[in-house]
Amino acid sequence: MDPATLLAIVPAAFGGVIWGIVGGALPGISPSITMALLLPLTYGMDPTAAIVMLAGTYVGAEYGGSIPAILIRTPGTNAAAATVVDGYAMKEQGRAGEALGISLYSGFIGGLFGLGVVVLLAEPLSTVALAFTPQAYFALGVLGLSVIASLARESLLKGLMAGVLGLMIATIGTDPVTGLNRFTFGSAELLSGIPPLLVMVGLFAVGELLAQSGETGWGQTVAERARIRFPGPAVWRRIALPQAIGSVIGAFEGMMPGGGGAVSSFLAYNEARRWSRRKDEFGRGSPEGIAAPEAANNTVACTSLVPILGLGIPSSNSSAVLLGGFLLHGLIPGPMLFVSHSDVVTGLFAGLLAANIAMVAVGYVMLGPCIWLVSRPRPYLMAFIYALVVSGVYAIETSLFQVAVALAFGVVGYALRYFDVPLLPMVLGVILGFMVESNYRRALVLSGGDHLTFLQDPVSAGFLIVAALFLLGSAARHLSRASRRLHEGAAV
Amino acid sequence: MRVCRRTVVLWLVSALTVGCGAATTEPRRVVTLVTHSSPGGGSDVFLREMIPHLTRVIGGTFIVQNIQGGSGAKAMAAVAHARPEGALFYATTPTFIYTSLLSDPSARYTDLEPVVNLFFDPEVLYTAADSTFATLADVLAHARTGRGRWGAANPASLERQVMERLKQAAGVSPAITTFEGGGDMLINVLNHTLDMGVGELQEIRAQLDAGRLRLLGVVGDDRLPQFPDVPTVKEQGIDLAVRKFRGLAGPKGLPADVIAAWEAAIPKLLDDPAYRKLYTDNSLQPGFMPHAEYVTFMREFGAETEAFLKQSGVIQ
Repeated sequence: MDPATLLAIVPAAFGGVIWGIVGGALPGISPSITMALLLPLTYGMDPTAAIVMLAGTYVGAEYGGSIPAILIRTPGTNAAAATVVDGYAMKEQGRAGEALGISLYSGFIGGLFGLGVVVLLAEPLSTVALAFTPQAYFALGVLGLSVIASLARESLLKGLMAGVLGLMIATIGTDPVTGLNRFTFGSAELLSGIPPLLVMVGLFAVGELLAQSGETGWGQTVAERARIRFPGPAVWRRIALPQAIGSVIGAFEGMMPGGGGAVSSFLAYNEARRWSRRKDEFGRGSPEGIAAPEAANNTVACTSLVPILGLGIPSSNSSAVLLGGFLLHGLIPGPMLFVSHSDVVTGLFAGLLAANIAMVAVGYVMLGPCIWLVSRPRPYLMAFIYALVVSGVYAIETSLFQVAVALAFGVVGYALRYFDVPLLPMVLGVILGFMVESNYRRALVLSGGDHLTFLQDPVSAGFLIVAALFLLGSAARHLSRASRRLHEGAAV
Repeated sequence: MRVCRRTVVLWLVSALTVGCGAATTEPRRVVTLVTHSSPGGGSDVFLREMIPHLTRVIGGTFIVQNIQGGSGAKAMAAVAHARPEGALFYATTPTFIYTSLLSDPSARYTDLEPVVNLFFDPEVLYTAADSTFATLADVLAHARTGRGRWGAANPASLERQVMERLKQAAGVSPAITTFEGGGDMLINVLNHTLDMGVGELQEIRAQLDAGRLRLLGVVGDDRLPQFPDVPTVKEQGIDLAVRKFRGLAGPKGLPADVIAAWEAAIPKLLDDPAYRKLYTDNSLQPGFMPHAEYVTFMREFGAETEAFLKQSGVIQ
């Protein structure tokens, strides 16, 4: 690669990452919207630099999403939802700097792993996507939903209730098979359904603000060390396994069209918990609970290039914007790109490496101010968050309707908190509902209504078996805990 | 304090009057082209690629505005409620007709004035290159056994309509599945879950160039210049052709000279060699229609789509 190109790529990567972190950190603005906002500015740029900038934005946004997840208990992106649990718990303990450091460092590891996979195996691995039939997607969705069992810590029943609520919300919009309108009441705004990000912003940010408004003791603030801290050697060793789990799950997720990063970060969280030596700490501020999902979603930001480069098929909204970037510069991504424009491909890989390095540098610099910001007195902070949320949601489509949706979910979030119902199962239901339903029905249309099709498809059967084992395992755990309690009760 | 506030108000009012005066007396030089697609989406890319050529060929300044939301409902409303002075146009695609019929938007496609058409996106039927189906007849024969599996990108779309109409015309009963977008469906054609898919040539170009897909027929009136050997569906004995249009519409009551200006400009634009190369590379078929023809075309397209949606039970 000639130095002139390199000179264009590195600033593009930095610019993209900075923009991405900001967009990802703003609640309500998804990585794909962040990228779409940038796209018109790249028209006049060199094609390679433009694509590097967009890819860098994706990398930055996946990390940026974890900042509000940790600091204000509001995931900035879908894929950061799993980070909320332990990230916010650590923040409550005054360990926000450490949590953010772990997120940044894990994202970097995941990003490098994902990049390695893309560079070495993009072409052969693109065939992985072809193994995914509607049956397989259904089963993957079911596996994702089975995580509810571990997210519902106190009461399985409440977790299931929240999950079902989420699934119900996912039925709003156009019917995936017949095209009929469901629960749209003639509103064109509802035709494409309720975006999961709006649900999250409402449930977490607005709901949290409502809940805190009712609390007393506003004068006190948690003493916060306004510095990002990278994990020490002990923590480093401890989070190696969750990072590996996250990276591997993320790598696979990225290769599957339609997946996006959210499923992988939930699955990674779940697996990290299962294989952890300190299971009890999960949910109470475990570094592992941040490392796994954050490694996963940054791996996805890289491996989602596999279907784009190998097949020319975007695997998520974000990579669809990237595809638009390719097309605008007269490049048709797909198997022929490696032959016809190998310079662009090498440039992209170099740019991604630069973007991952840029993420660490930029992240390190901008976290201090972020932490300082959230340790201001609560009245200011809460007014600021309200403004941020409302303007962010409004800015997406300049739609007051979406603001109303987010506020309405805030009320729902408040009610759920009041009844101690966990929020994440509901988010999971909203994210996965459409995928599970549409692929279930699609598979049945194809099989002529025969349910055995889900077991005949090998990938689908594999996922379903894993999900079943997992459910049985947690059911057994719940039962033994219940019977122990019963015995203890009898003894007293 | 009060004086100060009044000064500000006066200043604002005068600024506004000056602003309005400027707007009405000076000729409009900036034309806004509105699309419902997000930056990087189909119509957005189409407009942004066209603008430099449009500026070069006919002069003037053009900008793209993305008004997303409500599957086109907001963009339609913005254009329908704009003043008809030739400063704001909407990039039409079948989406605006489907959204008008499927929901109850504040402005429908009938509230807009079709101006001219520019292009058609050729719709093609295709299968995997390594599938056992060599021709459309093979796929239809397999569908006659009752085990056919066809795919269309979205449930309420022109592509779905193509498949349903093909099914009726050929008298076969395959399972027709819809997906969320062309890429998702393409995978299921490549992995043989589906016998056949339908989509825009542009969407499948990468796989086609790599030799992984086989074209079975063109769902249009003519063969495609890039693929002269691929017959149309009509040539294969089935009376089916659709035209996925790309054109411009404006608010009702556009002055005749504005419409005439577009009618004169577009043929010139389409004949421009540099632009021709670009749109041919992007698999777009030039399909200029003057105003009068476009109005009739849009009315017929709307009626046909409405009939289809009613017949398939999607709307009452």
